[in-house]
Amino acid sequence: MRSVIYLIAFYIVSTSFAQQTIAGRVTDKSEEPLLGVNVYLKGTYDGATTDINGNFSFTTYEEDSLVLVASFIGFHEVNLSLADNNKLLEISMREKVSELNAVVITAGAFHASEEGKREVLKPLDIVTTAGATADVPGALNTLPGTQTVGETGRLFVRGGDGRETKTFIDGMLVHNEYSPSAPNTPGRSRFSPFMFKGMSFSTGGYSAEYGQALSSALIMQSKDIAENTRTDVSLMSVGVDILTTRAFDKSSFAGKVQYTNLTPYFKLVDQKFRWDKAPEEYNANLAYRVKTSSTGMLKFYTNASKSDMELYESDIANPEIEFPVRVQNEYAHFNASYRELVGEKWGVKAGTSFTKSQDFASLDAESRDQGLLGFHGKIVTDYQHSDRLAILTGAELIQRDVEQELKDETGAFQQVFKEQLTAAFLEMEWFASSSLGFKAGMRAEHNTLTNQGKITPRLSAAYRTGDKSQVSLAYGQFYQAPGMQIILNHPEASPEKATHYIANYQWLGEGQSFRVEAYEKRYEQLVRYDQIFDPSTYAFNGKGFARGVDLFWRDNKSFKNTDYWVSYSYLDTEREYQDYPGSFTPTFASQHNFSFVVKKMVDEIKSQVGFTYAFASGRTYDDPNENGFLVGKTPVYHDLSLNISYLYSNQVIIHALVNNVLGVKNIFGYEFSDTPDDNGVYAGRPVTLPAPRFIFVGVFITLSKNKGINQLPNL
Amino acid sequence: MRKNLFIIIGILCASAVFANGQYEKVMGKNIPAMFTAETPEALQNVINQLNRVGEAEGDRWEPYYYAAFGYIRMSDMHEGGEDKDKYLDLALETLEKADLIKPEDSELVALRGYVHMMRVVVDPATRGMKYSGMAFASFQKAVELNPKNPRAHYLLARMQYGTARFMGNGDGGACETLARAKELFTSEQSNNPISPSWGNESNNEAIAYICQQKEGE
Repeated sequence: MRSVIYLIAFYIVSTSFAQQTIAGRVTDKSEEPLLGVNVYLKGTYDGATTDINGNFSFTTYEEDSLVLVASFIGFHEVNLSLADNNKLLEISMREKVSELNAVVITAGAFHASEEGKREVLKPLDIVTTAGATADVPGALNTLPGTQTVGETGRLFVRGGDGRETKTFIDGMLVHNEYSPSAPNTPGRSRFSPFMFKGMSFSTGGYSAEYGQALSSALIMQSKDIAENTRTDVSLMSVGVDILTTRAFDKSSFAGKVQYTNLTPYFKLVDQKFRWDKAPEEYNANLAYRVKTSSTGMLKFYTNASKSDMELYESDIANPEIEFPVRVQNEYAHFNASYRELVGEKWGVKAGTSFTKSQDFASLDAESRDQGLLGFHGKIVTDYQHSDRLAILTGAELIQRDVEQELKDETGAFQQVFKEQLTAAFLEMEWFASSSLGFKAGMRAEHNTLTNQGKITPRLSAAYRTGDKSQVSLAYGQFYQAPGMQIILNHPEASPEKATHYIANYQWLGEGQSFRVEAYEKRYEQLVRYDQIFDPSTYAFNGKGFARGVDLFWRDNKSFKNTDYWVSYSYLDTEREYQDYPGSFTPTFASQHNFSFVVKKMVDEIKSQVGFTYAFASGRTYDDPNENGFLVGKTPVYHDLSLNISYLYSNQVIIHALVNNVLGVKNIFGYEFSDTPDDNGVYAGRPVTLPAPRFIFVGVFITLSKNKGINQLPNL
Repeated sequence: MRKNLFIIIGILCASAVFANGQYEKVMGKNIPAMFTAETPEALQNVINQLNRVGEAEGDRWEPYYYAAFGYIRMSDMHEGGEDKDKYLDLALETLEKADLIKPEDSELVALRGYVHMMRVVVDPATRGMKYSGMAFASFQKAVELNPKNPRAHYLLARMQYGTARFMGNGDGGACETLARAKELFTSEQSNNPISPSWGNESNNEAIAYICQQKEGE
């Protein structure tokens, strides 16, 4: 009997023995305990969460072939087969290097995206910056590393000429990205900032994926599928536009037509020039996006425009003599891109773009008619070997067919070239840890015109120095074909070269950011000549340098509803190129550039107000009346611009802006007549804008089923 | 033969009841725990438990639904934008698991909209446009998928009110939507204790705060 009780007791005890306790501790590789890790037996409910000391403990009735899983955000999952023992488990988890925690190589680049958590700028900032008139280059010109060259409206980066900055949309090169403008009046980018969800403005040291830009790459990503069906109507002092967006389940379509005519504006606001035909432009945009799978996206974008303007420019020596100036342009751009993930580790991007541009410009009897046919095809694969190693490879073909006719009283002169540039690139990104990352790339290019091949290295690294701070370094070599007129005169002209060295420190706090960047850029193989139209005087041994420091501070925390940033750039640059008789600071470079941008939401008047103050020190110019080359220096540049967006109702916004409120007569340089007068003096006059101020008023109306939507974020 | 079959069916039913019993018991404990957890640690504990249940079951969407809700609450418990975003990302990831099990479900779509709505809080100036649009689209779709889902109406009303207040005029139709939600909450049949049933109280609070205050003015 007793033994029976024993037996029963034994069974009871043994069944309770079948319930076992699993306990242990979870740490990261540096032995720091991890809090909140989900530790459990695979396929069961049984498990626990680690406490502040990384400890866990739970009981289970499960017995057979147990697999213990430790799962924690930001770490690689650990799977352990449990043996039959009760000893404490020591689990060590390895951190995943992810977009969220990895150090980012920031040397040379300003990133802007809606999603980005550690970015200095948002795409919206582009459009709300006073003085930028919703123009992408206009807003980027408030960032350090750019020089104010107010008469062009283009991006001049770190002592580089405007053409040394190239624009890429969804990876595809854009030819002729600026709308044409009258002489010495700023042109605008053809691409509306509203099209983009993100952009990276690189002031140097950029990825091997991009080439043919000596100084800077502006890399923009167009928006994905639109979420809402809506129609936007804009009535502006300079024209009208209508944008309609249709959102479908897996695709969206957007179409925009725009008509701009400055005739009424020029009647109201006095202009320096006499206009025969104020700038007039027809512009149409179509965008179509299809989600081809849960990870695939196909995008089409096309833009067509036609513009025309006619004005009179007076002779420098005899202002009463006027010459007619005419500027006409027809432009079409088509861009298709596709991206998809293949399996877990591979990503593919492919794209193609076509550009057709016809530019006509005439001054009196002299004219230039230039036609460009551009093609770009590109394929890029991205292989994610692990969370720490990724390899980007790609190949591209860039083709330009250019024909130009120059005409004057004596006759016509035709020039053509066909250029085919093939390139391949390879870039590896490796993270030693989430705090230390390296990028090494190589780009090989071959140009059919010069029959030359070039291989260029790109290197960069970033190291996190603290919770919010990091340093990064970048080095790269860049080649770019010389200017269009040089190639037309001499198709074999070899490319120009720049080498960048960049060091960057960045501190990013909640709502505040600071960065400082020092750089040195060396130019080699620049084109030199005595006469641009005489290729026999060409030499390809020009050189130069640009060095400086850029500072940036942004704060949207310290003052309520207020966001401001301050940029300062110091630049020291000289070049021995073109027809320069030695090494001189070029006319587009200014030593000090400063901007101060403020935006404030004023709830009481339901408005966002903004102002931008920009300052640039004087630029050199050549005065034939003086001894010495480029000895003239223009006065300093000031501009104070204001804007206001007033929310009239949910669907109606009124926007107004004034550039150069104070009406400062900024002088960008001087031009002189070709021949001296009777006293041997060359007559000269300052280069200024046609009107000191620019004033704009617009009413923006949104029609949507969804009453919460308006164009406010667009302004 | 017939008797055997009967026995087999009986056994199958019994084991199913047993399995269901455990699922319901664990869920019954964790659902209220998710709503009431007051510290990130306690909440993470519940979320982990829900994720374990979800993974073990494989074909139940509810554990992931509540785990995602837990991440939304987690996001709310954190101050920094980066942290908030991290948990909202996790909420979406978890919701995706539920979506695979039950695609095109009104409750899941509504909760997805909730995540978008919380994104706006992180950075209203830049994100308002995109995410309020996405939140509206989600809530409207949730209403379309099940016009009787009171939570879809309640969340839609919050969005309507928030937008109208930002613009500084009216309630944006929020009170009308809240009233509709109230009707639906009252008539909601809770035959399954595990399916979502939250929201009635918050809805009444919202009515008290937005609508009755307005009438009193």
